[in-house]
Amino acid sequence: MPKVKIPRKSTAIDMTAMCDVAFLLLTFFILTTKFRAAEVVQIDIPSSTAQIPIPDKGIMMFNIAPDGKMFFGLDDQPTRLKLLSTLEEDYGFQLDDKQRIAFKTLELWGMDIRALPEFLKKDPNERAHVIQPGLKIDTVGGSQLEDLILIARKAYDLEPGRAENDRLRIAIKCDKTTEYQAFDKLIEALQNRKVNKFNLITSAKTAKE
Amino acid sequence: MAEMNVPAGGKKGHKKARSKKMSTRVDLTAMVDLGFLLITFFMLATTFNKPKTMEVNKPAKDNEIKDEPPIKMSKTLSLMLTSRDNVVNYVSPDDIDADTQLSIDSTDYSSTGVRKVIQRRQKQVKEQWGNQDELFVMIKPLPRSKYKNIVDILDEMSINHVVRYAILAPNDPIDSLIALQIGESRK
Repeated sequence: MPKVKIPRKSTAIDMTAMCDVAFLLLTFFILTTKFRAAEVVQIDIPSSTAQIPIPDKGIMMFNIAPDGKMFFGLDDQPTRLKLLSTLEEDYGFQLDDKQRIAFKTLELWGMDIRALPEFLKKDPNERAHVIQPGLKIDTVGGSQLEDLILIARKAYDLEPGRAENDRLRIAIKCDKTTEYQAFDKLIEALQNRKVNKFNLITSAKTAKE
Repeated sequence: MAEMNVPAGGKKGHKKARSKKMSTRVDLTAMVDLGFLLITFFMLATTFNKPKTMEVNKPAKDNEIKDEPPIKMSKTLSLMLTSRDNVVNYVSPDDIDADTQLSIDSTDYSSTGVRKVIQRRQKQVKEQWGNQDELFVMIKPLPRSKYKNIVDILDEMSINHVVRYAILAPNDPIDSLIALQIGESRK
């Protein structure tokens, strides 16, 4: 009886398909990624059972840190520029193009509006290291907070060609340990500007029985 | 790495010199490694689960006072959020006179705490008024209470299907008495 010889198989695996899949996934992730914005302030959000996802665009964001410092951000860059030009008029300062571009890329900021030109003059690295004092919330000489709310909404909502139901939405992101009084000041300012509907940002959890 | 040197079996005595055919196979191991490394990076850097939002509608602040009939206090439940992570709950009486007795109780934000209080009150209101949706919850956060507390309470409202509730400043006389009693500031 002849001996059956088992041919030794090569251990080389054809990796073409695997490579294809890997790069397909890679492309997907590159295209869908939206990088986390650099955090001006660390905020630990509370959780709730709410299920409404945050809208993709048209958001005016308020962040309140545990110590009550408030920060402001708009997600739409053209609106940021419009807001800035109105602020220039209303607060009487003049900016150059470099400062405007710096503001355009500013995700979140919190300081006296009058301190903005000085802040925007700094180079990006230096800016990242400035500890921002938070928006000016006392109402001596008019409320800056209310101004921002009004100007930002005008800039977004009155943009030509904006759809009827596409309105600037207000999202509030607070730390778990922020005191209610800081939050209340913001609500007060919003309501003074006739904003009665806003979204509180929370992380998801399920209701325990 | 994935390829191991395997001696070609058989045909040992083949002597004829032949030009070696080069294999068209490329070793893809390194490429795959790199691919997966980048995938991992992008997966971790991406914000995939978007945070959820809780929608809050506040009543419009009107300067003119509308002539709405006041809510019967016996349909209400007041929840005062304190700075010490607990909820003081009480039911304000319809009429206040010298010998009004008010029982106040304090609980926490867990599912066995404030949730039970709300459910018990819903049951009472259902017995008294025939519909548990008649219950009106008055949420009164004290200035030093935490933001987490208000989110938890609003969440309990939706979990327990409380239809009518409002966030109010703790301004009526009973609130001030209770704040005094538990040693909290209303300002």
